[in-house]
Amino acid sequence: MSQHMVEARAVHKSYNGIEVLKGVDLIVERGEVTCLIGPSGSGKSTLLRCINHLEKHDAGELRVEGELVGYQMRGGKLHERNDKQICGERSRIGMVFQRFNLFQHLTVLENITIGQVKVKNISTEAARAKARELLARVGLENKESHYPAQLSGGQQQRVAIARALAMEPKLMLFDEPTSALDPELVGEVLDVMKDLARSGMTMIVVTHEMNFAKEVANTVYFLDGGVIEESGHPREVLSAPRSERLRSFLSKVL
Amino acid sequence: MTTNGDAVKVVPVRHYGRWVAVCLAILVVAMVIHTLFSKLPTGHKVCHLVNGVRACRPGSTWRFSWTIVGQYFTTSEILHGLLTTIELTILAMIVGIVLGMTLAVMRLSPNRVLSMAAWTYTWFFRGTPVLVQLLVWYNIAILYPSLTLGIPFFNVTFIHFNTVTLFSAFTAAVVAFGLNEAAYMSEIARAGLIAVDEGQIEAATSLGMTRRQSLRYVVLPQAMRVIIPPTGNEVISMLKTTSLAGFVGVVELLGAASNIYSGNYEIMPLLLVASLWYLIVTTILSIGQFYLERHFAKGALRSPPPTPIQRVRQDVRGILLKFRTRRGVLEPLR
Repeated sequence: MSQHMVEARAVHKSYNGIEVLKGVDLIVERGEVTCLIGPSGSGKSTLLRCINHLEKHDAGELRVEGELVGYQMRGGKLHERNDKQICGERSRIGMVFQRFNLFQHLTVLENITIGQVKVKNISTEAARAKARELLARVGLENKESHYPAQLSGGQQQRVAIARALAMEPKLMLFDEPTSALDPELVGEVLDVMKDLARSGMTMIVVTHEMNFAKEVANTVYFLDGGVIEESGHPREVLSAPRSERLRSFLSKVL
Repeated sequence: MTTNGDAVKVVPVRHYGRWVAVCLAILVVAMVIHTLFSKLPTGHKVCHLVNGVRACRPGSTWRFSWTIVGQYFTTSEILHGLLTTIELTILAMIVGIVLGMTLAVMRLSPNRVLSMAAWTYTWFFRGTPVLVQLLVWYNIAILYPSLTLGIPFFNVTFIHFNTVTLFSAFTAAVVAFGLNEAAYMSEIARAGLIAVDEGQIEAATSLGMTRRQSLRYVVLPQAMRVIIPPTGNEVISMLKTTSLAGFVGVVELLGAASNIYSGNYEIMPLLLVASLWYLIVTTILSIGQFYLERHFAKGALRSPPPTPIQRVRQDVRGILLKFRTRRGVLEPLR
């Protein structure tokens, strides 16, 4: 059994005949922060969504903690997992979306408790206590009875992070968490993420925030056209890019 | 804004067109009220003895026979009819909403057979007149003299019914209106379900919710905001559609009224009695709808819409404020 948190080998994915991932290899170790960078349409988000099986990959091997994502090896055959098993797997992987996707009809507190109560069958009181603790951690303890529409983008994204953390995930996926935010709100979300990284959470972050990648990431992957062009320590990848494509990408975003 | 330290008078825009429209509206309202309480000559004279002198004048009566309306408004026959109308409406709507929701979920299923089945249902029940459907259900015993629940081809029977006893006029009406309503409700529910942002489902899924859980806890509560207004419309429309049940002999509100007027020929007053009751129930339903919509608007709006009472209070405050500032000093309005 592999000790990697996430291991991808030659992962392929196409939508209606258009190949988005053309054989991606990636390894994420426990407690590490991995940043995926690259131009839009390069397949970063798709790769992230394959890891928690929001998208089914077509070919290749994708493992989380050594277990195949969405499949089970039994008697030499690959059995597709049923809905319930996949949901069980997913509940251990937190995900934060570009557009927050907070449940609009629920208060901040209810957003954070609903997963605990309905998926993990935790009592409402325990779930609330946990939610308040997490709200304090993201600096929003006085907003628990607000509705998402009453919060700023940065506040909403911090609630979304708290909602994901409430499930006690072993792995957190961030899909461009600051791209929909006003510039002055980006910092508050990145601060929460840095704090989370320091606490030892394994994180995979699709981002355009190169400074965040430089400061926090253990490994940076540069995707372009569905393949990994370059990867390595952020200092090497971001400061001394080898490929022409990464060089031109960085010159545009930095 | 001041010149030489004095307040400057502010002249608001005069809406002359609006004033004309208001005058016309008032005129129409006056005409309606006048005709509602106008009188018709009866054709014979009414005479009194005044100070020993017999004085006669042409007799007249309310054009809208208000006295007869009042006389029949709360008779037990009418009230029973009203109760039947309400029962029919509630039962048919329950069938319609439950089946309609199921059809909507089927229609959105990734399975083509389920989705086609739901589409076909809607196509058929929306494509034929509800009156025809009512007559078919009432006469269904012609096609199926008895109803049997079992396994086809194997002679296994679980339950057996005699269709004529099972399908009374009332049952036929509930089934006909309910199944017909389901076709419309399924479209309303489907519109509500697809109006919920896909990101909401993804977020629910990423928390580990199953399809069923995300539908129940995340999608449906938000879809309700879109589903309720047209559903309120459907309830009100159903209330009046039930008057068709008279065709198969169900004595509902209109049926009760027509039973009475076929005996005493007071057609207009009794139609008025029925109409007034329909209006009263519709009014109550509209009020219920308002508060239901307000409930499900939670989180969708930064502040919920005011209740009518709150609105009146706001208006009064606004008029008072306007009155106070009328003196011409431009003050910042809060």
